[in-house]
Amino acid sequence: MRILIVGDGKVGYTLASELLREGHDITIIDQNEAVLRKTEDSLDVMCIHGNGANASTLVEAEVNRADILIAATASDEINMLCCLIGKKLGAKFTIARIRDPEYNDSLSMLQQELGINMTINPERATAQEISRILRYPFASNIEPFAKGRVELVEFLAREGDIICDRPLKELTSRHSDLPKVLYCAVEREGEVLIPGGEFAIHPGDRVHVAADIVTVTQFFRCIGRSARPIKQVMMLGGGRISYYLAKMIERMNMHVSLFEINPEKAKTLSEQLPHADVIEGDGTDQDLLEQENLAGMDAFIALSDRDEENLMTGLYARNQGVPKVIVKSNRYAYKDVISSLGLETQVSPRLITCNALLRYVRARVNARGTTVEKLYRLVDGKAEALEFIAREGDPYIGVPLKNLSVRKGALVAIILHQGKVIVPFGDDMISAGDNVVIISTASGISDLNEVIRR
Amino acid sequence: MNTRLIYRLLGAILLVEAAAMVPALLIALGYGDGDASAFLLTILLLVILGGLLRLCTKTDHTNLRAREGFLVVSLAWVLLSAFGALPFVFSGVIPNYVDALFEAVSGFTTTGATIMPIVEGQPHGIMFWRSFTHWIGGMGVLVLTLALLPQMSGRTSHLVRAESPGPTLSKIVPRMGDTAKILYLIYAVLTVINFVALLPTGMNAFDAAIHTLGTAGTGGFSNYAASVGHFASPWVDWITTFFMVVFGVNFAVYYKVISGGWREAIRCEELRWYLGIYAGVTLLTSLSVLTEYGNFPTALRYGAFQVASLMSTTGYSTTDFNLWPVAAKMLLILVMFTGSCAGSTSGGMKICRVGMMCKAGMREVRRTIQPRRVQVVRFEGKTVEEDTLHQVGVFMFMYGLLLILGTVLVSLGGRYDLETNLTAVLTCVSNVGPGLGAVGPTGSFAGYSAWTKVLLSFLMLAGRLEIFPMLAMLHPAMWRK
Repeated sequence: MRILIVGDGKVGYTLASELLREGHDITIIDQNEAVLRKTEDSLDVMCIHGNGANASTLVEAEVNRADILIAATASDEINMLCCLIGKKLGAKFTIARIRDPEYNDSLSMLQQELGINMTINPERATAQEISRILRYPFASNIEPFAKGRVELVEFLAREGDIICDRPLKELTSRHSDLPKVLYCAVEREGEVLIPGGEFAIHPGDRVHVAADIVTVTQFFRCIGRSARPIKQVMMLGGGRISYYLAKMIERMNMHVSLFEINPEKAKTLSEQLPHADVIEGDGTDQDLLEQENLAGMDAFIALSDRDEENLMTGLYARNQGVPKVIVKSNRYAYKDVISSLGLETQVSPRLITCNALLRYVRARVNARGTTVEKLYRLVDGKAEALEFIAREGDPYIGVPLKNLSVRKGALVAIILHQGKVIVPFGDDMISAGDNVVIISTASGISDLNEVIRR
Repeated sequence: MNTRLIYRLLGAILLVEAAAMVPALLIALGYGDGDASAFLLTILLLVILGGLLRLCTKTDHTNLRAREGFLVVSLAWVLLSAFGALPFVFSGVIPNYVDALFEAVSGFTTTGATIMPIVEGQPHGIMFWRSFTHWIGGMGVLVLTLALLPQMSGRTSHLVRAESPGPTLSKIVPRMGDTAKILYLIYAVLTVINFVALLPTGMNAFDAAIHTLGTAGTGGFSNYAASVGHFASPWVDWITTFFMVVFGVNFAVYYKVISGGWREAIRCEELRWYLGIYAGVTLLTSLSVLTEYGNFPTALRYGAFQVASLMSTTGYSTTDFNLWPVAAKMLLILVMFTGSCAGSTSGGMKICRVGMMCKAGMREVRRTIQPRRVQVVRFEGKTVEEDTLHQVGVFMFMYGLLLILGTVLVSLGGRYDLETNLTAVLTCVSNVGPGLGAVGPTGSFAGYSAWTKVLLSFLMLAGRLEIFPMLAMLHPAMWRK
């Protein structure tokens, strides 16, 4: 597909490199020539210098032939204008990044009037992700599948966990009360492995398991990780993510303490968040943190603008015994290093935005012949979880899985049959209309038939 | 430095060269002049060497950084010429390797300067190969490799940037591999049209092929001593004139025409400068040779041909312009400097650089009058960054420096007069072909000493790759670990 990206920033660049890998033709527009030159050097894309809200620039980028226009510049207004003009000039599908909460209420009207097919708010999406993690504190990451009936949960295996150092197929016989979950993928030293029956989990592995939420909760209780539900949350930094997150988790009966150093911002926040304790002060100040009872918190979330500050205070909170620490980090390349320090849960707004956008692009590809319903990238894109709907007439329908051959490096993780979650074993089969979740280390799978053959 | 990847790419290029020799081999077999074995031997050598380079250097690492990209390009061109010279030696047509190397470099860089005193009666395969090197070298070997090998399309912009002429690289579609394919397709189609157009003039197919390849690559090798003048036909002259001008135009313009934007295409500023300069110089040249030919139409025929030939840096001739008055000769030297458009197959400094520098010059003049007036240089309707202007300025200075130093070095050999030596160097750096004096259209470079020929070969490569890749290859920092 021809995809036009306006704004060669963090999101624009990451998105371009991902989409390029999937075989799309990418054109990037930006006003900063130096940034474009760097992009042109490292990616095989067309770069056009100019303002994306300028019709002649868009014409030069052949917007009329673009299947998708993604506006991801720093300015909401330019993004909206860009989509409006792009749509008028013939772009088939437009996506705008709109992050200002001011526009939140009028969003649906804006979308309709300006011809924007979809909007994405990175801060809101990040807040949603964090709130999901807070709901299930045992996981370092959680992703719903099949309309939320299946959860894909990531956690860090620790020394002494009963699931460690034994072949997976022996686990259920040894521990009869251990619920059946599917071990989808294991990340070890930066490499992603799709485990078979002989596979043994080592301490330090990042394990991804899939099951419905009740089973997952039981599973974690069984291996001794049932953290009590989170009630007290402390946040560092009063940015937009904090605002959205506080709004969300207040509804989940969690109490929020929020540090903001800028007095005016703190005042505005306290007006917007009447139930939260907004504390005006430097959240990196240890005395202040202790004064506000850091050690008594169930969760500490570092969301300041500076990765370093987030990391340092996150480590301090971990040191003080806060059970759940989440840090925001924009430099995703350091994920492993930060993990090794004990901060296993990191969120990156850029990656979350990219994932969301990629999902929509793939959904557009869907309409052109592929059948991916949902896509979730695991471990920095080294593996993928894909959800498909099994179609009537495909050769694998009604055949027990043990009689089917599954592509190497791929795994049929979950079958959702008539609202019931099945963690499939050899005798299970796929019926037409089922949602099927595939875990794969190869990217670019576009159809279930590519994975399963008779 | 990712040496494995460099070896791998060079291996691919040698294989492409082997494939490029196949048409010449078939022609050699068809005519049976006894030069087929020379091609067979060279192809065998290329396949073995290229195959070994590829087989022995497996690498998953496909990141090509700027330094490696430029090194690959300059090494590739040196290797191509070194191996492209072998058929001349093996067949015995040019027994001396240095001479053969000069001929091959002159072919690949689309210069068309020759050291062969007699070109008539040579084996057909060899003559075809000599002209075919123009065709490949015109659009670029790496561009061809890129069009043929899709897996190379990772970080390849450095390769194409080093090889394609012009100050900035302009892709015509988002992917480099697709861009390369489209460029070669346009190139091939135009070449076929040129070939077909020549046939009704009574030329035989072989002559038409030789002269089409020479025109398309803006090279200028002919299989007759009198070049295009041999045919003594106004039709051949005008057709060749037309196509020499056509191949001097940026190929992106043709893509725009095809994709429906002809209005935008004719608005291209560089094209206007190009056609404007061509028309002006042709008129002046024709007028200055009016007395030689008696009537204006004949003067125009010779003038238009010669200006097109030297401006597009092809180097064909229909007459010995050495005998023209000094005004006409000076005009021809002028267009040898400018060359044609960026993104075409021609050499020279390129019109857009000349255009930008003229505008920058005007700005400086204006600045002395109104020092505080803020001015930007605009080209193709867009502001030219100061950075680009700076680069273009330095490029033009280096061009001049290369010309003068080259002339000094050639003159140290103590041969010929200033006119000959200066135009010999200019014709090599600009990839034109003939110069004036002893290296004029009826002369050859055979009289120069062996080391002068090596120097001129270097200058041709430097001119074709636009100076910096070749100079970078000689810089010690390039070879530091």
